[in-house]
Amino acid sequence: MPPAASPSDAELILAVLERDDRRAFAELVQRHQSQVRTVLRRLARGDTALADDLAQETFVLAWRNLSRFRFEARFSTWLYRIAFNAWQTEARRKHEVLLDLDDDAPLPGPEGAHEMPDIAARVDLERAMAELSDGERAAISACYYADLSHEEAAAALGMPLGTVKTHILRAKAKLRARLGKDKP
Amino acid sequence: MTDIDRVLRDNARVSLPDDGFTTRVMGSLPPVAAMPRSWIHPALVIGSAALGCVLAVVLAPAGGSVLQGFADLTQLKAFTPAAFTALGIGIALLVSALVIAIETD
Repeated sequence: MPPAASPSDAELILAVLERDDRRAFAELVQRHQSQVRTVLRRLARGDTALADDLAQETFVLAWRNLSRFRFEARFSTWLYRIAFNAWQTEARRKHEVLLDLDDDAPLPGPEGAHEMPDIAARVDLERAMAELSDGERAAISACYYADLSHEEAAAALGMPLGTVKTHILRAKAKLRARLGKDKP
Repeated sequence: MTDIDRVLRDNARVSLPDDGFTTRVMGSLPPVAAMPRSWIHPALVIGSAALGCVLAVVLAPAGGSVLQGFADLTQLKAFTPAAFTALGIGIALLVSALVIAIETD
């Protein structure tokens, strides 16, 4: 006998909305916790305690506002939007400058644009990510860690599409330069 | 895909263990009783409207002749006691319908 197919996100959401089914919501949390927490860890510069607090706040807000979910976008995209808002609110509370474009900052030179070994790059990646500007880190987190398209990232972050693309280009150039520089 | 794309995608694929996170989230949700029930507000509004209608019938000078009031209204006699009673009932029902429609939206 084949195993029963696990319910889709939409089916679980309907179970929560129609029957206040907490087990269904727990299943949604289990499914998405890893990516939401990873994205928030990148945004919080590796501060895992803060990231997990924000992730918890994200899921509680999702529970409270689930009736507003319109099923037009993926549930994960909607969750990331809540997560990015939670992070921005926290950063504003700490009086940080957010989502700056740094238009005048020069792009790193081509010296880092060579191929780099996988292991060294992974070891240093998190440190290099922490050195990006808030906007660059948010754009990279949205497009790579949350797997959003540039358009979805722009909507989730409340940035113009061109700004997201610029942040991605600059961030990748900086990471490439940083990771290349650290190469022995 | 460039080298840095590959590194970022590989890093994003690493899965975090739950480590009790789901339990903490479920424990911080509001209690079940605090969740608003979709039928409570409409029931309150309809109940209030029904009570208003009964009071209109009992207290209005027209007494029980509500049907006479509607008949008066159809004949454009809006200033009879029975017509006032019928108007009161109609307005109460209309307001309750509007409140329910706005809350449902």
